[in-house]
Amino acid sequence: MTDSAHAETADAPAARASAAVPGRRRRRHLIDWSAYVFLVPWFVGMLFTVIPFGASLVLAFTDYDLLNPPKFIGMQNFTEILHDERVHKSLVVTFIYCLVSVPTSLAAALGVALMLNRGLRGLPIYRAIYYLPSLLGSSVAVVMLWRQVFSTQGIVNTALAWFGIQGPSWTSDPHTALSVLILLHIWTFGAPMVIFLAALRQVPTMYYEAAAVDGASRWRQFRSITLPMISPIIFFNLVLATIGAMQSFTQSFVMSNGTGGPADSTLFYNLYLYIQGFSRFHMGYASALAWVLLLIIAALTAINFLAQRYWVFYEN
Amino acid sequence: MGGFSDPTVSRRAMLGLGLGAAAAGVAGCSRFGGGGSTSADGSTTLNMIWWGDSERAKSTEAMLDVFKKKNSGINIKTEYQDSGPYKDKMATRFASGDVPDLCNQRRDSIREYADRSALLDLNQHLDVLNTKDIPDSVRKIGQVQDSMYGIPAGLNAVGFVINKELAEKYGVEIPDGNTWSWDDLWSFSRKITKASGKKVYGTDVDFATIQNLVVFVRQTGEELYNEDGTFGASEKTLTDWFSMSVSERKTGGLSPAGFLDASGSSADQDGLTKKVLASQIIPTNNLKAESESVGTELQLNRIPGETQGARRGMSIDTSMYWSIAAKSKHVDDSLKLLDFIVNDVEGNRAVGPTRGVPMSSKVADAIYPDLGPEDKASIDYIKGLSKETLPESRPDPVGGSAVQDACTSIATEVMFGRMKPADAAKKLISKANEALGKK
Repeated sequence: MTDSAHAETADAPAARASAAVPGRRRRRHLIDWSAYVFLVPWFVGMLFTVIPFGASLVLAFTDYDLLNPPKFIGMQNFTEILHDERVHKSLVVTFIYCLVSVPTSLAAALGVALMLNRGLRGLPIYRAIYYLPSLLGSSVAVVMLWRQVFSTQGIVNTALAWFGIQGPSWTSDPHTALSVLILLHIWTFGAPMVIFLAALRQVPTMYYEAAAVDGASRWRQFRSITLPMISPIIFFNLVLATIGAMQSFTQSFVMSNGTGGPADSTLFYNLYLYIQGFSRFHMGYASALAWVLLLIIAALTAINFLAQRYWVFYEN
Repeated sequence: MGGFSDPTVSRRAMLGLGLGAAAAGVAGCSRFGGGGSTSADGSTTLNMIWWGDSERAKSTEAMLDVFKKKNSGINIKTEYQDSGPYKDKMATRFASGDVPDLCNQRRDSIREYADRSALLDLNQHLDVLNTKDIPDSVRKIGQVQDSMYGIPAGLNAVGFVINKELAEKYGVEIPDGNTWSWDDLWSFSRKITKASGKKVYGTDVDFATIQNLVVFVRQTGEELYNEDGTFGASEKTLTDWFSMSVSERKTGGLSPAGFLDASGSSADQDGLTKKVLASQIIPTNNLKAESESVGTELQLNRIPGETQGARRGMSIDTSMYWSIAAKSKHVDDSLKLLDFIVNDVEGNRAVGPTRGVPMSSKVADAIYPDLGPEDKASIDYIKGLSKETLPESRPDPVGGSAVQDACTSIATEVMFGRMKPADAAKKLISKANEALGKK
């Protein structure tokens, strides 16, 4: 407890100081203050981010059960993470989820964006239709709906039954439960699609005209013009989608009633963190898990940034 | 979930977690400062939280109305939800220092709170809380050594209910529910499955639920949790348990793997209600709700194997406890309310046995004549059991909820053929030892 109290008092002035310094520098230009007035909510928001960050960093080195003061235990939480079978399991689940759903959903997003970019009438309507799922995808209601659709007597199995196929209980079978979540993720490709669509419109038409004159096929145009031109946007979407997928929580929490079941097959890393923190009262351990996840995501993002040199094309 | 909108959502979730931790830190600071049991002059408002459905909410409010009539000046703010989310809510409430005054506690986690001194030792307050009419055997259910951190909110047991209408429809004779063996159950079940052409399965046993496993383990003469809090079930017993899950799925004694959705477990969604199962294990206090949602008469039987085993497996239990938070600001009024819940006849008549048979035998006798047939049947069942020599019931040791989680996962692996029963037994033992041994 004393540890976390230190963290708060240490962090709070730091945040305040950083807020104050630029303010003092610009005091001569009175009009600039308005910017800071508008930024106040952000600073307040930052406090709510920085303090818990600091607290969780301190707690990561403690044994803290939420009800009694934390006890400092050094690196013990981290060594335990290395040996925790369920951590390994949850990492496997999360990586599979990320590796399958990120490329597929980006491909789907790009595909639909290309289709919509061909000067359709009523484009805004289509755009809205495809975009809608991504607004709903992580909401509890849609996951509940999804659960019904894929249940033993759900729509999917009813449809399969027309063809004489007896479908499994998709969400209760450990072989298929994760696929249902991946499918849900792919279905919500709307957000990257809208960004792709905007990027496609930025590609100057003169390139295509020139290519057409030279007799390049559509596929050739796509490969040699479209892809390089929008590669920075693909990269942007890739980074965001990877980070998002690594942090997935809601889908599995709702689908499995917070257990990560059946048989841990949908145990996302974040869900396991939650279980440790709030069901097992191992908040110190959960904090350590959070920081490990931060490192993993940072590493993945770094890899993405290093790899981009080989495939992302910047016009300027 | 969209790749793009994802980070915002998750970051918010992460922030929430962080905030929880920070709030807990803040609460920790003030913990030893104030927090006396001062009751305000004028009116106080108690916060009472519990789990259950809207039907239970109605009857609970009816009970509280009686209390408020008798105790002007005490208001009660209630909150309730389903048992899963309730667990999470409790944890965050206690962690943030925003403790409820009176709350329901689960048997697999009451000690996780009590052992961290979050709950009031009711034995220190027997001057306000009258427990005279609670039989000793019942009081033990909430007892940890010399302390009592929860009073059973109602007595129940597990029972095997059979849909009589379906049994008659398929012309299958129901075995004697007091003396049937596990083999009797399977042969009854297979006959139903066969006669219905697999439209209706005879039964399904949830091999993951600790309450079911406990009965089976005791029948072999062992204990799932020994008195010292260690894990007591042997490898052989657990192998036998999981083997039933495998072999009876082949014969039609059990519905196939994945036939029932693991998620929908409440009375209005289970296999019995959907009429795809002819029988099932339920907690007896749910008999009324279950009969209503099935819409036909359910015969309440004992768990099979009670007369064939080394000893009795069933015991009189509680579905939940009433506990008072140690940090409650209104301890006196909370005790008054708890005393009312335990001893007041009028109040108990209003709420009925939705949480189980009232713990005070005096109250139980007083409300009995006005009850409906299902409630009478479940009370008779418990009364019948209480006259016999049964194993003692205790709160689960710390780590009990982790054992439950491990069992759920392992039972699923077995059901889907991903783990052999013998390996499952070994795994459960090692997981349980790990969960009970540390922290």
